[in-house]
Amino acid sequence: MTADQGETPAATAGAGTADPALDANVAADVPPEILAQSLGQYLRVSWLRIRGGNSGILPVLLAIVIVAVVFEIITPEHAYLRPSNLVYIFGLSTVYMVLAIAETVVLLLAEVDLSVGAVALIGGVIAFKLVQRPGPDWPWWAAVLAALAICGGIGALQGALTALLRIPSFVVTLAGFLLFSGILIVILGGADSTVSLNTSVPNQNIIYDMVQGLIAPALGWIILAVVVVATGASMWLRTTERRRRGLTAPPLSLVAIRIALIAIVGAAVVIICSVNRGSSLKSVTGIPWVIPIVLIVLGAWTLVLQRTRYGRYIYAIGGNPEAARRAGVSLRAIRIWAFALCSATAALGGILLGSFFYGQYSSNTADPGQLVLYTVAAAVIGGVSLFGGRGKAVHGVLGGLLIGGIAYGVSLLSLGSLSTPLQYILPGGVLLIAVLIDVVSRRGAGSATGV
Amino acid sequence: MIADPNQTPAGTATGTVDLTLDAEVAAAEVPAGLVAQSLGQYFRASWLRVRGGDSGVLPVVLGLVVVAVGFQIANSKFLSAQNLVNLFEQSTVYMLLAIAEIFALLLGEIDLSVGLVMGLGSVVVAELVQPSGANWPWWAAIIVTLLACAAFGAIQGTLVARLKMPSFIVTLGGLLILEGVAIIVLGGSLVGIGNSGFTNEVYLYNIFWGTFNPVVGWILLAVVVGAAGTVFWLEDARKRRRGLQAAPRSLTVMKIALMAVAGIAVVAICNVNRAHAGTIEGVPFIIPIVLVVLVASTALLQRTRFGRYVYAIGGNPEAARRAGVRLAAIRIRSFVLAGLISGIAGVLFASWQVSLTTNIIKSANSYVLLAVAAAVIGGTSLFGGRGKTIHGVLGGLVIGGIYNGLYLMGVSSQWIDVVVAGVLLAAASIDVLSRRGAPGKA
Repeated sequence: MTADQGETPAATAGAGTADPALDANVAADVPPEILAQSLGQYLRVSWLRIRGGNSGILPVLLAIVIVAVVFEIITPEHAYLRPSNLVYIFGLSTVYMVLAIAETVVLLLAEVDLSVGAVALIGGVIAFKLVQRPGPDWPWWAAVLAALAICGGIGALQGALTALLRIPSFVVTLAGFLLFSGILIVILGGADSTVSLNTSVPNQNIIYDMVQGLIAPALGWIILAVVVVATGASMWLRTTERRRRGLTAPPLSLVAIRIALIAIVGAAVVIICSVNRGSSLKSVTGIPWVIPIVLIVLGAWTLVLQRTRYGRYIYAIGGNPEAARRAGVSLRAIRIWAFALCSATAALGGILLGSFFYGQYSSNTADPGQLVLYTVAAAVIGGVSLFGGRGKAVHGVLGGLLIGGIAYGVSLLSLGSLSTPLQYILPGGVLLIAVLIDVVSRRGAGSATGV
Repeated sequence: MIADPNQTPAGTATGTVDLTLDAEVAAAEVPAGLVAQSLGQYFRASWLRVRGGDSGVLPVVLGLVVVAVGFQIANSKFLSAQNLVNLFEQSTVYMLLAIAEIFALLLGEIDLSVGLVMGLGSVVVAELVQPSGANWPWWAAIIVTLLACAAFGAIQGTLVARLKMPSFIVTLGGLLILEGVAIIVLGGSLVGIGNSGFTNEVYLYNIFWGTFNPVVGWILLAVVVGAAGTVFWLEDARKRRRGLQAAPRSLTVMKIALMAVAGIAVVAICNVNRAHAGTIEGVPFIIPIVLVVLVASTALLQRTRFGRYVYAIGGNPEAARRAGVRLAAIRIRSFVLAGLISGIAGVLFASWQVSLTTNIIKSANSYVLLAVAAAVIGGTSLFGGRGKTIHGVLGGLVIGGIYNGLYLMGVSSQWIDVVVAGVLLAAASIDVLSRRGAPGKA
């Protein structure tokens, strides 16, 4: 689990090649926008990167397209890509997405957290319990924050055992999984108990609406416009700022293409969500709240991992812990924080899970063991390496979408007795194929640089 | 760990003639039986070994004593003959799965699929003897089940050893696939082996629930102790005759005596009538079954070249490779053995549960966690190269004891999980700290 294969060949490469963009060794490890000066170069560098084994989100995007096309063809009445189903798939996948983002943070350190499933469910049950009336009747935001804080504390505890005593994280979190699966039932109040949200209470309805609530289409368009303009402006300003200061910056044409892509994808999502997916008597339209929620989680973690010193240290430790230590990085603090933040993010996933199941939690809502398997599978399928140092938050989101898409597609097929087993077999098979690709592409990268 | 008697540190221990006194070199790495010339020396060498961080089975035996004494104080039924047999029955599956897991752990790998290999094995063996279905003879069903489980181990081992995929992920994917396959084989319904009208089902049922006649139990014990004692004695005598290092004669006698006493205790306990009404007495078949698996796997690991290579790879794969060990072949064989032993556990599981449902198959998932816990609690290292299959048996007993004792006290199952988690963490901490304390391994 802790194979550190982080020696990047950057130092050995480049000799004798004037144009770094043409050097496969450099291209494999440096983001293309740093090397490329024009759109043509960018595409060329990206292609070298893919050939060098660093294919990024490409495989998972391809897999999502394949899954979508295949299920659209084989489902009865070609129902898979109907707007109602797409929205449902997204709701189903959000849990895997958020949990996979959480798991990614730990995987980047070349550790693993097997307790995310149990911790997520604990977070959900705590938040649901705290808003009960009669009961604590806390405001919803306080309940959510308390759940995140408690689960963060749980994660810090597990992180401390891993980071301070150097007990393998795999064992610590295995014990944590057993421990918190037990405590989950205790908090729930026994194996037969349930806790549910009363939607007629506005305070509880807000948590219920996190997945079930909808944004009206008109408002959706306005939000989309604001988001596209804001991110576009910040991307554009950042690029021009870098250029003015003489730093490497992606070509402006690339920035324009990216902004256009964001706008197109956003418009597609809003259009799909604006189609009436209810009956002719009662129309259901609008964008589920969970889409902006997942986007915020994704954006926050992307910022933390890509733009802060903390994020850089995580990649450094995942790449080569000894090198990071000698560079003065406090391995212990970074590791403990990573486990804490992973568990806090998982708690949010647990709250969304309860909201997805119509605001009800019972001991049968989700099996924590299966949840963690799907989570690790989602992260790895998305493109996060198990050996640390390679992966992004967006990989977790795409992997989660793929897992949710497969799970729902299988349930649509009306296979009768085969549908339950296939919900295990397909993710297992996809996981093995994803890791096979990971391993083979790493080997390809290794031979390309003569390692 | 791969102590070759011909290469004891005699050459390196300069200045110290008496090896038993050189704690740094001799005690921590060489089995006490090799250094000691007398019983007193043996105990001294063993103590140095424990202090050097290689405490072997000592912590888990201590743990067993604590569990036994603690629960006996809490509930006087705990050490009753009836409950002890019950406890062993509950622990059987943990023990076998832990032995299976140890074959992966010794290599520094992990096998997360053992629980579901067991689950699949139980479903396959039960389906194969169904009179309305395949209607195979019981022995054929068992053989095919074991072959299927071993084959699955071979596939996983090949992915790990040849394609260099992490065992953690291969067996995670394997587990998911197996869960699906097991549910398919089960056919969405219930399958049972409890019908006393069908001979094959009765045979299968009796594997777990059958017992020896008390008299037969005593005769078997005499045969086993006599045979094992003779083997021990002859082997030590042969070593001494050839001028090799051998344990002192008094130690051999003591080991045989201990074995006899333990055996007599087990048979005596099992021969007490443990039924509320009627008669249930005698040694359960599962005790010799577990013993056979334990002895066979111990012999394989301690006495064969394959076993030495397993420890060599676990200790340092690169060194083993340069010494000419074919890593891939040894790794694949280890995973095959893990699958095979999980298959044996599967046959016992089917017999134990009598009828299998989808929910029972899904619950097989949690057994892998307990199997890893049992191995680690027993004293097997997670980092490879250190451990014996006896650790799995003792660790399985501890876990079975905790479950049984807490259940007797009326503790609900979720709190039992919490306690097991605590024990696992404690065992892993001991593993980590003892390695840190060991000389030259910091």
